[in-house]
This record gives sequence, structure tokens and C-alpha cells, in this order.
Amino acid sequence: MTSDAVPGTREPFDPTDVTWTPVSSRLIGARLTVTAIVLGPALALLVLLAVLVGATWLWVFPAVVVLLVVWILWLVPRQVRALAYAERADDLLVRRGIMFRSLVVVPYGRMQYVDVNAGPIARKFQIASVQLHTASSATSASIEGLPPHEAARLRDRMASRGEARLAGL
Amino acid sequence: MTSTPSTPNAPDVDTTSDDDVTGWRRMHPITPALKGWKVLVAVLAIGWFQAGENIEQAIDLLHGPAFLALIGGFLLIGLIGFGYSAVAWRVTRFAVTDEAVHLRTGILFRQQRQARLDRLQAVDVVQPLLARLVGLAELKLEVAGGSGSAVSLAFLREADAEALRAELLALSAGLQRPGAAAVQTPVDGAEPDGAPVTPVPFEVAPEREVYDLPMGRLVSATLRSGAVLVLLLVIAGAITLAIVSRDISGAFVLVAPLFAGVTFVWSRINQGANFRAAISPDGIRLRHGLTESRAQTVPPGRVQAIRVRQGPLWRGPDWWRVEINVAGYGQGDQQQRDTVLHPVATRGEAMTALWLVLPDLGVQDPTALVEAALTGMDEVGGFTSAPRRARWVDPVGWRRHGVRVTERALVTRSGRIWRSVDVVPHERTQSLGLEQGPIQRRLGLASFVLHSTPGPVSPRVNHLDAGVAAALLDEQAERARTARATATPEQWMRAVGAPTPTEPEPEPTSAAPTANPEWAPEPTSAAPPATGADA
Repeated sequence: MTSDAVPGTREPFDPTDVTWTPVSSRLIGARLTVTAIVLGPALALLVLLAVLVGATWLWVFPAVVVLLVVWILWLVPRQVRALAYAERADDLLVRRGIMFRSLVVVPYGRMQYVDVNAGPIARKFQIASVQLHTASSATSASIEGLPPHEAARLRDRMASRGEARLAGL
Repeated sequence: MTSTPSTPNAPDVDTTSDDDVTGWRRMHPITPALKGWKVLVAVLAIGWFQAGENIEQAIDLLHGPAFLALIGGFLLIGLIGFGYSAVAWRVTRFAVTDEAVHLRTGILFRQQRQARLDRLQAVDVVQPLLARLVGLAELKLEVAGGSGSAVSLAFLREADAEALRAELLALSAGLQRPGAAAVQTPVDGAEPDGAPVTPVPFEVAPEREVYDLPMGRLVSATLRSGAVLVLLLVIAGAITLAIVSRDISGAFVLVAPLFAGVTFVWSRINQGANFRAAISPDGIRLRHGLTESRAQTVPPGRVQAIRVRQGPLWRGPDWWRVEINVAGYGQGDQQQRDTVLHPVATRGEAMTALWLVLPDLGVQDPTALVEAALTGMDEVGGFTSAPRRARWVDPVGWRRHGVRVTERALVTRSGRIWRSVDVVPHERTQSLGLEQGPIQRRLGLASFVLHSTPGPVSPRVNHLDAGVAAALLDEQAERARTARATATPEQWMRAVGAPTPTEPEPEPTSAAPTANPEWAPEPTSAAPPATGADA
């Protein structure tokens, strides 16, 4: 986990004739908010416990949580920056991950349906996620952190492309 | 319950989108009798599990009036079950038009289902033991809409089910009805019970048997599986433990694994018994089953991927298990049952099975290619294999990871102890992926993944050189695109421009069936291949 892994600089995950569109950086805020909602109360509870009991070793648990938070604070921005997609003439590319990287190529002609989702936190941050479904359940092509208008544009584009490419099985 | 149809002969009053559909038919009137007993069995099973904890107390309770009450209760539940089934039967109707199968079911919650015939993935005629005894069968249509999307027509008379299957397959192939004008016969809503109103029956497509599975081989192959080996080890261990500790009670721990093992062996044998495969213009026909018999028909071009695999115990007799992905199959326990193309194949039969699905592999010498895929290592047979540095991530199997691209399909191979070969026709590629973990990145490796429809086959090539994998991803996306453009239409008879099903020749995926003599499987099996058909 050294810092030589600047997201998306190496060839196999970066085909030459492709211009990647990164997702909105507001996704960082959204993901960190979720972390805060989950870990904040836990941290508070653990600190309270340590204070009330008074045993020094009990501070280990809040310390672990704090370390976790620091790690997430470091990780999430990098993860979000690694998340990108590209529209080519006949297929859509989705790239994600730093440690475990993956690249998915979804042909428009194989698209069965497109989901656009936005939860309450995502809406607060004005982002939405687009998920592409093919007949294969293994296709894990979801793009989180799109501005709503971009999500809508992508959805419509996918639908029209799929039609033009005679989507079937 | 207000909407329970009190007037059985009146057509449904509710507003339907398919009002213009005529020719509604009903299932066979014995259906409720065959379905109703399931309720009783379910109740008995629940009661058994409830009482299972303290079975002795339960038996003590069962004297005198309590026993009578229990019997009465069961009778009541049985009556309710049969009554429900009878009402359900009464409201269940189906109709076949040129484009779709319509099915209406449901007592409280009405359901109408339309299955488009051009999206038909497979048609099964299923006969559970009871239905078989009375000569009935269930017709199941798979339409690839995810789990629970199958249309089940249960139960029909056996001959009717087969006629209906022929009709559905012919219609979904894009053929015209023979004597197409004669459809107005049925009066709307009138029920000629059990006597279907088929105007002119379609001819049942001729078929030629390709291979069958001897019972002896099935049994010995099933007993040679790893599960049985583990079971034997567990039993041996428990017996020694019991002898050493002089205490038999420990042996009761064994009941659960023993039960699981026996169930496994039984289900394998039960499902694989009488396994026969045939080819017809309708596609591949598979028949199997001991107690419950199934006849599956998978039309041409509906097989999404094939896997041929072999465990270490099958290596001696050189047996292979051949499985397929078909959209619509492959959810839950179906995956074990319906997706088998050959339960225990010899090498020759495995090749025949492959030929059934892909008559043209797109290479000069398909036999050599398959040989290399099944047992070869490194670059043998034109495979692109994992580089030597992959041994750091997979010290045992790295020499077996390989991929070969032919004109028609992608062939991947893997596993040194558990050998496995996957074949995916280019036009059946759903999407593609590239994956890389931290260690792989250090070594400059990447895994290539091909996504197919849900099923037993999930092709991937691990630990290829990263550059090679990336190039493969790009090329394969391109190849899949061009293959898709020239692929057979969903109504497969349209490809050959056939107005009537006159030719008995199997017409597989490509419009030009390249007769390829070497691809003929070994002569022991019933001489199916392409060249023979032209005679």
C-alpha cells in the first residue's frame, strides 16, 4: 500500500483511446457522512464507557475506532478519485478500485435495464448512482456519485444506445 | 374472497389487457388432486419438526381423543388443501397466440402473465412421479426474466403437453401455423375441458439421439465423487472414536452429514438416470430422471456458455461433467438439475456434447483444441497461458491458466487438480471485466473475466500478463460486437428462411453449417455429426 499507486496511471486499466470521466467529488462527502453516521455514535459510546469505568485499557477501543476513521479519511478520497467511466462508441467502461482494481466493459447491445438511485444522503449531496444491468448477474457496473443531470443523461443515452444496438440476449 | 368466480362458465369479468386473446384453455381436471396433497405433506413436515424435539411426549399424548382430534385435523387440512387447489385450478387458464403464451392464475391476487415466444429460452416437460402414474405432465417455459419468471402449465395430458411443446417451439422459431386461418374456432370463454382447441397440430420435430448414459457408469461415477469420500472418512473417524472411547452416543453427530451425503448421492443418481441427449431442429433435447422425469428442449443459440470439468477422482476413468448456462435456468436448485448437458461423459462424449452446442468451433482441428484445453498445459494447442511469474500467486495450477480465442468462441482452461474448461460463443458475451489485486499488480498480472448469464459456468482466466489481459479485453469486446451483428435471430428458423419445418436437419447457430469431418466425435456414440446429416 505504498503511494506509487496513483489511481489510474498504469496501462492495463487505462486503454489508450479512452477519455475517462471522473465522478463528482461530492461523493467523498457523501461517503464520509455515512461513515460519520455509523462510527460517530459508536465512538461516543466507547469514549463514554472509558470515562465512566475509568480503566485505562478501555481507551484501546476508541483508539481503534479513531484509527479506522483516519484510515477511511485517507482511503475514501482516493477511492472516489479512482472511480471513473468512459463512453465509447459501442460500450461503456467503468473503472474502480486502487488496491483491488477492476475494469468492466459493458456493451450497449447487452444492456437489459438501467437503474438510477439516489438515497437521502446522496440527494443532500446532489449525486445519484447509475447501475447497468445485463443478463448476467456478474456484471457489476455501477457508477456512484454522478450529478443528477449527468445520471439522467447517461440513463437516456444508455437506453437509446441499447435500442440502436438491438439489445437481446 | 368476494371476487371468487361463482359462475365458472362465464369468462372473467375483470378488465384485462389481453381481452382479444381467444382460445383460453384449462389445465387437466385431475390437477388439484396432484397439487393438493403437497399442502398435507407440508403440514406433516412442520408438525414433525415441531414435535421432533420431544417426540416421546408427543407419542404419549396421542392416545384416545387426542389421536382422533389429530386425525380430524389432518383430514381438515387435507380438505382445505384440495379445496384450495380446486379453486385455483378453476381460475387458472392459459392461451397460446402466435406471439406469446398467456397465463391467468390466482384466487385472491389475480395474476396475468405473458411470455413472449421470441424470447423463449427453453421448454421443459416435467413429470413428477404421481403425475407420471396418471399420464399427466407439466410444461415449463423459461423466458429469462430472472427467478420466478418461468411459466408453468401444470398439469396437462402427456400427449397434449408434447403437442403444445412442438407448437410453442415452432412458433418461437418463427414458423407459420399450418393452415394459419383456422384459429377462430373457440368461442370466447367456453371451456372444452381437457380437450384443447388446437386448430392444426404442429408436427413434432424429428430428433436423432446423440448419446445416452449407462446406469452403471452413473452410479460408479457418483460414488467416486469427493462428497462420498469425505463421508466415508467421517464415518471411519466416528467409528474409531466410538471404539476408542467406548461410547456410542458420539455417533449420533453423524446423522446429519450421513443424511446429507445420502441425499446428494441419491439426487445425483435420480437426476442423471436414463440420461439421453438428442438433437432436433428445435434444438437440444435432454431427457433424464428416475422418479421425476424431465424432457428439456433448449433451442439453438440459447446456450450461453459450456463448462467441461473433472475432479481428481474421475481422472482415472477419464470422465467429465458437462454443464451449460441457459438464461432462465440456473436459479437455486434448478442449477443442479437443469443445467447438466452430460452428467458423466467420456472424453468422446464430452466432445459430442460440445459439438451439440457449438457445431463449429472456428478452428481447423477442433479435436486437438479440445484435447489441449482438457488436459494441456502452457502454450500447448495455441493457448495463451499465464507467465511463469504467476507461480507466486498460484503455485499449483499456474501452468493450466490459459485462454484461446477462435473465430467463433472463447475457450478458457484452468485447474490442475480440478480441471475445468469453459467455452463461450462470442455472440453470447454479456460483459467483460479485468481485475487486479495488489500482489498481481506487483507481478504485472491481471485476471480476465467474462460475464455470462447466471448458471454453473462463470468463465475467467486468472493471472494473465497484465498487458495481454488488457489487449484480450479490448479485442474480445470488438469480437463480441461483430459476432453479435451476424448472430442468428432469436426466431432461429428465420435464419434459414424456412416457412415450414420440412428439413429434419439440425440447424445450429450459424447459417452456414460448415461440415467439418474431424469434428465428428468418436464413432462409439450414435453417429450424430454434421456430415452424416447431409446424406
